[in-house]
Amino acid sequence: MPYLPTSQAYLEQSSLLLQAYPETTRITTKYSFPSSSRQKKSSSTAQSNPTTSTPAATPSTAAPIATLTLKTFNPTSGICLKYRTNKGAEVGRLITSLGKLAGGADVASLGLSGPAPAAVTGDVEMVDAPPDETTTTGAVNNTTASNPAGQSSAKGGKSKKKGGKGKR
Amino acid sequence: MPPLAHEQFFTSLADLLSKTSQKARGSVFLTQKPLLSTTTSSDTTSSQPSILIRATDGNTNAPNPKTSKVQKKSTLSKIKLSTVVAPEELEAFYARYAEVCKAGMAGLKKRDRKKVKAKKAGAGKAANAKV
Repeated sequence: MPYLPTSQAYLEQSSLLLQAYPETTRITTKYSFPSSSRQKKSSSTAQSNPTTSTPAATPSTAAPIATLTLKTFNPTSGICLKYRTNKGAEVGRLITSLGKLAGGADVASLGLSGPAPAAVTGDVEMVDAPPDETTTTGAVNNTTASNPAGQSSAKGGKSKKKGGKGKR
Repeated sequence: MPPLAHEQFFTSLADLLSKTSQKARGSVFLTQKPLLSTTTSSDTTSSQPSILIRATDGNTNAPNPKTSKVQKKSTLSKIKLSTVVAPEELEAFYARYAEVCKAGMAGLKKRDRKKVKAKKAGAGKAANAKV
């Protein structure tokens, strides 16, 4: 399964997966250093290019940079979400977010993004609406709800700024 | 292995992480999943289940058939830690957990302070130029 581009996307998708399968989903955090065989390969390939090899090879052998890989996996559905980073500054925030996920936090309570509550209300409307046409459109709105909500909030911010300029 | 108390788990985990960081090779796997007890299923349906936390160095105990004759059993010990966190303890536990992980995962990239300083200095110069 592919790696998600941002930690925010990973946490959002993970919380949705945990909500769907709260009992069987597990989260694995892997802290790992690159294997020594890979380093040997890189150094051997680098030796073919003598000009670029020496500066590239020396820092990797002196201090190999570890990676932190977060993986949310659900065996019954086969869904696997991954996020990888090598920045030490992210560790604290990621672990506390995993704690929130473990406590059954939904997307909204993670406090990551605005559009989550809109999606939740969309779900409620879907249940209430009886005809098929409205439910299908409701489903479409749910998937795309995140984007318009973000845009509208951004527009609101701009208009406020404009108003401020006018007063001055 | 029976689950450890939180204090014991944290000290063992800190030890495991720092050893891995010092060696600069190998991995540490941390897993979290809900602990589903079959006996008290009627109670847990209403409330949140406890969270089972596992930590391991990923060292398999199964001997490689090609090299099993050469290797000694004493060198093939897998480190396995586990602890159980009740739902009401989650917040306090994860605060400690994050601290231990931050301190132990020293092999990750440090925040590059030189760049930040350079940017600040550049910004300061720009401000001075404006004034």
